Amino acid sequence: MDALLSVRDLAVHYATAEGPVRAVDGASFEVPARAIVGLVGESGCGKSTLARALMGVMPRTARIAAGSAVFEGRDLVTLPPAQRRDLLWRRMAFVPQTAMNALDPVQRVGAQVMEVLTERGGLTRQAAQARAAELFALVGLDGGRLRDWPHQFSGGMRQRASIALALALNPALLIADEPVTALDVIVQRQVLDVMKELQARLGLAMILVTHDVAVVAYACDRVVVMYAGRVVESGPVRAVLEAPLHPYTMGLMNAFPDLERAGGELVPIEGAPPSLLDPPAGCRFAPRCPFAVARCAEDPTLMEVAPDHHAACWRAGEAPALRPRAAQAATWAIAAEPLA
Amino acid sequence: MTALIAARDLAKAFPASRRLGDVLRGRRPMVRAVNGVSLGVAAGRALGIVGESGCGKTTTARLLLRLEEASSGAVLFDGQDVTALHGRALLPFRASVQLVFQNPFDALNPRFTIRRSLAEPLSNFGLPAEQHAARILEAMARVRLDPPEAYLDRHPHELSGGQLQRVVLARALVGHPRAIIADEPVSMLDVSVRAGVLNVLRRARDELQLAAIYISHDLALIRYVCEEVAVMYLGRIVESGPTAEIIAAPAHPYTRALVAAVPVPRVDQDRGALPIKGGLPDQLNQPTGCAFRERCPLAIGRCAEEVPLLRGIAAGRLAACHLA
Repeated sequence: MDALLSVRDLAVHYATAEGPVRAVDGASFEVPARAIVGLVGESGCGKSTLARALMGVMPRTARIAAGSAVFEGRDLVTLPPAQRRDLLWRRMAFVPQTAMNALDPVQRVGAQVMEVLTERGGLTRQAAQARAAELFALVGLDGGRLRDWPHQFSGGMRQRASIALALALNPALLIADEPVTALDVIVQRQVLDVMKELQARLGLAMILVTHDVAVVAYACDRVVVMYAGRVVESGPVRAVLEAPLHPYTMGLMNAFPDLERAGGELVPIEGAPPSLLDPPAGCRFAPRCPFAVARCAEDPTLMEVAPDHHAACWRAGEAPALRPRAAQAATWAIAAEPLA
Repeated sequence: MTALIAARDLAKAFPASRRLGDVLRGRRPMVRAVNGVSLGVAAGRALGIVGESGCGKTTTARLLLRLEEASSGAVLFDGQDVTALHGRALLPFRASVQLVFQNPFDALNPRFTIRRSLAEPLSNFGLPAEQHAARILEAMARVRLDPPEAYLDRHPHELSGGQLQRVVLARALVGHPRAIIADEPVSMLDVSVRAGVLNVLRRARDELQLAAIYISHDLALIRYVCEEVAVMYLGRIVESGPTAEIIAAPAHPYTRALVAAVPVPRVDQDRGALPIKGGLPDQLNQPTGCAFRERCPLAIGRCAEEVPLLRGIAAGRLAACHLA
């Protein structure tokens, strides 16, 4: 596959008083050019840590412990900091969860876009002004609003502005961390539509970090499912959501209320994810998995089970038989809820 | 079906932050957070109040709980007007109508054991101490925290989010309320544990024949737990009726946009363009007539002149739109 970004066995550890927390523990996936890839999982699964590690914006206590992340032929993990900084904005850019974090509250929105264009992009003031207006138009904002202060913007407008800011220097890859989570559904849909349009018009690739399977279904071409610091399943959105191979993905789909699906009980996944300070040996989902067998004490690796569809489960080959059982609440009730 | 808890023409206005011009001219602008809301829910039934942030749904819940004084209108409980009750006279109402908190991580005192957190409301409502243990065990069984002994002597930090939210629900149920009001009861929880908490809420409602009101921005969740729904926009109910019917055939253009915007967890969702324009108007400068008309793809001249009243459009269904 012609990958824009190829992540291999990436590990990110946080130093804590009790020892290293393995927030990301051997994650592998690819982002093809011009594709929107959803990085989905629950809180603490490592999806945000992974996104931030790729951007090189990590807290001081975090470090990349192993693996590689090859972006346009260069490994981000071993790249000298100066060269890495050169890539930011120009080749890859970040959209944080709350747009307030991307925008300086005491500077007019336009001035912030101009600063990136002139300081980082080397544009003249005149060229930058034209480009700023163009960027605003691209995300559906009125050019006149460039004179506004961030607080004059609604949540949706701020998120559009922070996307415009990220696009300033024509990056090939946008990494967006829960970009629509804090927004109301109508605004969320409007922002997702902007992102899809940018993908189509500019040929942009994106990593969209989210906990929401429905957002993935609506906006993404591919999906990477994470659980407890690991990638458990990845592939084209249709394959993963319609024919999930990993029991966790099956559980996630059945736990989700569907607006158009009538009645029936939602099926919860009992229990809670393990501590990443001292994760259990073997498959990390096994303690909550109704299909766990003796072999699950051994670590399953991510394998290509169907063309372009990967899963880290020993029983992935039996998935067609497991899926109907996973849709029943009684199946999951058997796995007892361990005490935190 | 008579409502156990009901709102009659409830309104609440808050003072808005004053700009310099307002101060100089001695103006005190008010935001009408809730503007003439009437609704009700019978024992054993669940009503969802759905809308975007700022639509007044949380204020409506706080008014119903008597945590906020209404500017006008009334709160009725079991046929009695409780709007004017205060102090001791309000105590039976407080015991009968319980709030399920949104954030389980700060709804419980971190220094209290689960047992003590559950006993506290019982003491507050004056139940003799010898009856506490039985009530606590009953509430723990109701929320499926089994075996209860495994949880009761623990502190909140030792429990997961899903377990904590069940404790929060047990705390609401322990005093034998007749109605519960839940404001975004699972929004702080991960998807995999949400379903468990929603199932527990639904069963408790059925088993105890509670009147339940859920506040949420999530129409898919409301559909799962509520037979009836009221859609709010800028302080007013714009549509109400059976949830499934409204989702299948929304009558108000705002509801139509809301339904169209909710993502579903399936590929091949042909959703079409969103039938709505722009964003929420300034709360202090709402358009004349219908508050939604500037965003409405169907607006006609009449919409600028006349506020549409909530009226019956089919059996059990109300909508506030001239064209519905």
